[in-house]
Amino acid sequence: MRVLGAVTVVALAAGLVAGLGLAPREVTQGNVQRIMYLHVPSVWVAYVAFAVVFVASIAYLAKRADAADRLAHASAEVGVVFTGVTIATGSIWGKPTWGTWWTWDARLTSVSILFVMYLGYLLLRGMIDDRERGARYAAVLGIVAAFNIPLVHFSVIWWRTLHQPPSLMTPGPAMPRVIITALLVNFVAFSLLYVYFVAKRVHLLRREAEAAA
Amino acid sequence: MWKDLLVEHRSKETLNALFFFALLLLFVFQFTLGPDRERLAGALPGLLWLGFILSGLLGLGRAFVVERENDCWEALLLAPGDKSAIYVGKLAGNLLLMFIVEVMLLVLFGVFFNLDLVPALPALVVVIGLGTVGFAAIGTLFAAMTTQVRARELLFPVLLLPVQVPVLLATVQATEAVLLGEPLGAVAHWLKLLAAADVVYVAVGVLTFDFVLEG
Amino acid sequence: MPDNWGFVLAAYGLAAVVLIGYWRMLVRQESDLEDRSRLAPSSGHLTPGSQTTSARAGERSHAAPISGHPRPKPDSRDPLQ
Repeated sequence: MRVLGAVTVVALAAGLVAGLGLAPREVTQGNVQRIMYLHVPSVWVAYVAFAVVFVASIAYLAKRADAADRLAHASAEVGVVFTGVTIATGSIWGKPTWGTWWTWDARLTSVSILFVMYLGYLLLRGMIDDRERGARYAAVLGIVAAFNIPLVHFSVIWWRTLHQPPSLMTPGPAMPRVIITALLVNFVAFSLLYVYFVAKRVHLLRREAEAAA
Repeated sequence: MWKDLLVEHRSKETLNALFFFALLLLFVFQFTLGPDRERLAGALPGLLWLGFILSGLLGLGRAFVVERENDCWEALLLAPGDKSAIYVGKLAGNLLLMFIVEVMLLVLFGVFFNLDLVPALPALVVVIGLGTVGFAAIGTLFAAMTTQVRARELLFPVLLLPVQVPVLLATVQATEAVLLGEPLGAVAHWLKLLAAADVVYVAVGVLTFDFVLEG
Repeated sequence: MPDNWGFVLAAYGLAAVVLIGYWRMLVRQESDLEDRSRLAPSSGHLTPGSQTTSARAGERSHAAPISGHPRPKPDSRDPLQ
């Protein structure tokens, strides 16, 4: 665990350097574009987290392994954290770029729905005292939410593009290699952070379960 | 399954209350959006679905309350055979309930906002049908899940609404197009989304209901 | 285009605050658990569940306090009684 933590910190530092220092100043948006090095890896990790929730939920219903339940729970929680970071950084990016803190563009909207769905997941868990039932219901919800993600994705995109020309969230066609590298470095760093958080959270859940037994 | 339909049929009180609720919603829409007919007209598809959803939340939220209060819950759990059949039965009952409410709302809308719905009716039926199935499928599942939970009246809409967003987006867009006189083909992508969502939701409901009813 | 370093710093700062805050919450819960398991060897009669440390968004602490204490509600009636 310590090793993982240390490696994570190093990776994060590398990510910071890459994002803030090495990557060039973007042509159209200026340095504000650097926020992307936070925003994009965050949302990637969030999606990974929720995919893990999906798999773990199915595993729990199939095998009734408490470990799977703990993994789902932890991954959902960490996923919500990263989703929150995604939304916050996206909003801060939006203010100077589009002049507004919030806009119902496709990506922000989808991510917000994601956020609320899995927040509901955590809420459900919090409100059921019976651990076994909580695990079961949460697993069902985890599965429903995961299936909903592509539906949300498409419906929101169609909703936006049919009313407005597509927004300029996507970076330009040919991204310089440095930018891509910086993105990847940050992605790795965030992934490590995700793993670290989930590991810690699972550990906590297991200790709590043992304390209760 | 027939038992459920009968129970729903006998609970006229739910239906009456929902009808009254729908009526009140119309008043609220009128009062909150002011006398500006243009603004109201523009928002109509959205308001219609708001009406459906709010009524649906109330109606579906109570889907399992009857069993719960009358101590039939254990009987449900012990029932032999596939629990999914219970889900389908409940779903059918809920669908019927929602369709009745929707018809009422449509009529009320037509009367109060002086709409001519007849030309758009077949297309409307398709859109509303698809949308309602999506809503009821997950709604029935979540209703079963939240009956046993603290603060169920709060948790049920909180869980259901985010999940319903794609269906909501699709139905409102499609309804708007249909009310404007466009053919169904123009909104084919929305309809396909709705159909896909319906299939997924019902499938998930059928497959996971066993787990929900276990204990 | 103005550089808007202020926003960049705000974004990085916010992300740091959230992530570090979450990390600190995890660490604190861990040490709470360790303290408790050292003090109360068996059924905790005076431990009302881990402190719902109101971190950033209180929702995240919802996940935490499902520690074991006797089920307070009769909503798990044994169906086979």
